[in-house]
Amino acid sequence: MIRRLLLSFFILILGAVLLTRAKALAAPRQPIAYNHKTHVQAGIQCLFCHSSALRSDIAGVPSVQKCMGCHTLIATDKQAVQVLTGYWERDEPIPWVRVNWQPEFVYFSHQAHLLAGENCETCHGDVGRMTVTRPVLKMDMGWCLDCHVKQPENKVARLADCLTCHK
Amino acid sequence: MHKTLTRREFLAIAAGATAATGLAPRIRNIVIEPFVRPPEELLPGQATWYASTCRQCPAGCGIIVRTIGGRAKKIEGNPLHPLNRGKLCARGQAGLQVLYNPDRLKNAVRQSGGRGSRRFEPLYWPDALDLLGDKIATISSAGRLAFFGGLMPSHTYRLAALLLEAIGAAPPILYDLQSALEGRSVASQLSRVFFGSPDLPVYDLSHSDVVFSFGANLLETWMSPVAQSFAYGAMRQGRRGSRGLLVQFEPRLSSTAASADEWIPVRPGSEGFVALAMGRIIVEERLGHVGSHRSQAVLYQNVDVREMSAASDLPVETLRRLARAFADADRAVAIPGGYLAGQRNGFSSMLAVQALNLVVAQVGRQGGVFLSNPEPAPGLKKIPPVNTFDEVMDLIRRMKAGEIDLLLIYGANPMYELPAAAGFADAIARVPFVVSFSSFIDETAVWADLILPDHTYLESWGYQVPSPGADRPVVSSQQPVVRPLYDTNPTGEVLLGLAARLGGKPAEALPWQDEASFLQETVVELLGSSLGAYDARTPAGFWALWRQHGGWWSEKPISREPELTDVAQKALPISDPLFEGDSQEYPLHLYPYSSITLTDGRGANLPWLQETPDPMTTVQWGMWVEINPNTASSLGIDDNDIVQVESPHGSLEAPAVIYAGIRPDTVAIPVGQGHHDYGRFAQAVTGSNPMALVAPVTDPDTGALSWGATRVRLKSTGRKQILARLESLDGKGRESLG
Repeated sequence: MIRRLLLSFFILILGAVLLTRAKALAAPRQPIAYNHKTHVQAGIQCLFCHSSALRSDIAGVPSVQKCMGCHTLIATDKQAVQVLTGYWERDEPIPWVRVNWQPEFVYFSHQAHLLAGENCETCHGDVGRMTVTRPVLKMDMGWCLDCHVKQPENKVARLADCLTCHK
Repeated sequence: MHKTLTRREFLAIAAGATAATGLAPRIRNIVIEPFVRPPEELLPGQATWYASTCRQCPAGCGIIVRTIGGRAKKIEGNPLHPLNRGKLCARGQAGLQVLYNPDRLKNAVRQSGGRGSRRFEPLYWPDALDLLGDKIATISSAGRLAFFGGLMPSHTYRLAALLLEAIGAAPPILYDLQSALEGRSVASQLSRVFFGSPDLPVYDLSHSDVVFSFGANLLETWMSPVAQSFAYGAMRQGRRGSRGLLVQFEPRLSSTAASADEWIPVRPGSEGFVALAMGRIIVEERLGHVGSHRSQAVLYQNVDVREMSAASDLPVETLRRLARAFADADRAVAIPGGYLAGQRNGFSSMLAVQALNLVVAQVGRQGGVFLSNPEPAPGLKKIPPVNTFDEVMDLIRRMKAGEIDLLLIYGANPMYELPAAAGFADAIARVPFVVSFSSFIDETAVWADLILPDHTYLESWGYQVPSPGADRPVVSSQQPVVRPLYDTNPTGEVLLGLAARLGGKPAEALPWQDEASFLQETVVELLGSSLGAYDARTPAGFWALWRQHGGWWSEKPISREPELTDVAQKALPISDPLFEGDSQEYPLHLYPYSSITLTDGRGANLPWLQETPDPMTTVQWGMWVEINPNTASSLGIDDNDIVQVESPHGSLEAPAVIYAGIRPDTVAIPVGQGHHDYGRFAQAVTGSNPMALVAPVTDPDTGALSWGATRVRLKSTGRKQILARLESLDGKGRESLG
């Protein structure tokens, strides 16, 4: 009896672990079926839309106005663009669902990483080939440190310091 | 079947359940909303600071507000502003909770179940304006329309005054409890009698060597507390080798008195006698370094020092010592404060105190008295001095007589702020239609047919000429730091909308399309001024700098020297204080004082202010009665005992705080609690409004409310209410065990 109970718990736990992993790296449902691949293929750089990544901690999600800068004329027959136009006309922000995420107790700056020479793809994967954006890496502390300790010796002490990210 | 669970099984199940709970798939759904149209200056993740003006009290300090992603996060003092120089008080800091308050009205409403029903239905703004426009258009005569204002932004006042004038109605009546407690209207009348101008005096504390404050809580709520606290710091520590002296005369040890070198608990209403006696001693004994006092002898010709000493409870030696300290100082200043104005002999007391500055030749001299600068441009009008209580009583009389058909109320809460005995509750019931512009459903808005909520001040445009002013001409500017959170509408725009609907004269008087264009037109009058700390080449450039700086001020200090009227050539009046209530039946003086956190009650809906401990009693979330230990023991009252305080006009119950810092013949109650409406936080606190006790009597010289002239008696109820205090008083509980 007890053995069976324990076994069923074990299966439950295993299932939960697998489901969590799958869920963590799944693409969330977005209010608009936005396609990164199409935009990158059209020659648009990451920083055109996520324009504050070089200047601020936050990369930023483009304003509805920025989307409409092109989509007033381009691809207006597409359903997704019509949904976008709906938000614009109602003067409503689009409730995008965050794809990559750090908890509140982590201080992370896009600017610092870009200025250190990292590419967007290092952490976000090849977004230019994704139709629907999903996280490719589990951005936990071990993963951060993996990279931080491989940096030049004079920087490691600072980059491995708790207070660098948990201030 | 019954089976007992073994320890091992129990642990296995518990561990399994815990693990399963912890490992359930995380559902993350964090929404990030981008701007629809981002402001130009905004960078995601970076703070943008906007300069504006605080509206938590009448002082008009400059603020800067940190916003991230279009949300206001923190308010600080504007370091460029000459009034508060980067400092801000707790009430200013708590302004964020006005903006984010869950009890804000989110749209225009009509009271559907009749007035006082507290049942509201939303109203479409154009319909609301049509409704109000019809009411104004169909009123039989313009005299039957009244506008009751409190703390009004200057531009809203101006638009309201223009509209009322165009209709033919009287200008707004201004009255709020804070202004009454700080003696604003009396101070203005004193200025007029002494200096021939209604502008409030500015006392140059920072350069003073000796400051005698007569009932002015200058480090708490009186007039411009942040500017005064800054100046107080400079007086104490700003100069090498000299430390200014502060003496506080008032019946209760306030936080200001606790910061003073000496606290002199004079008998309530006898502050003027102390000043008269000191003046007489200085003139008679030719104290100080001024030289001849011959011309001032006339001021004190009727003053007998011994009589004054007996009337004020202060020995002649003490009066002489104080007079000497005052006269011998290089720079001394005497300040007539709010507590004086709250007495029935208030005006003569204030005259006596102001005369001390004359006797030591400190009028218009560094470290003495100056006048607030006038408006730097004709269009940037100051809001006029608040009305007297007599004028308010006249309005109440007209309301009761059915002479008012439409009452508009902005920024005031007369149901709470007036003495209950003034009868405003009866009067408002006789007015057929009442409109409130309040952001919250306060005690007065509950009696309105229509509430047209204004934006909160962090969402609004405006300007204010601070009164009292700084050491130079200054105008504070107000601009929205965030987009309006809800479907509220600035009252200025409502007035413009009404004018357009009414057409004819009102539309001509208020031709502006919106508030911002009215302000722009007004503000650019300052363009090209030779005084300004900045100037621009174009009106648009000036408008941008005006918003960036948080106002306009002169680059260099410009002090305005007052000109004396003939008041100095007559004997000063000596008038005895009168009190409501028989001294045998009601043996104690009531001192309702303005709370450093809740002010006159307008801060009671902000949890940050409710949880801030009162500096003297350290009570949080509560109200109390301060009683001298001797009085308390003679009545058998202990800390936290609920006592009944009774005046000839009403009674209330509150827990006692046994407080050594108060005269045995006085009890003090902070104003601000006891709200029946005004939102969940204000209503949650057990407390009463001391205005229920206050007699609606005035000083016959000024018509101002004598809020300190009521006598009360105490009775223990035998019940207790333990007050939440940060510390016990008198170190109770800190005795050593040995």
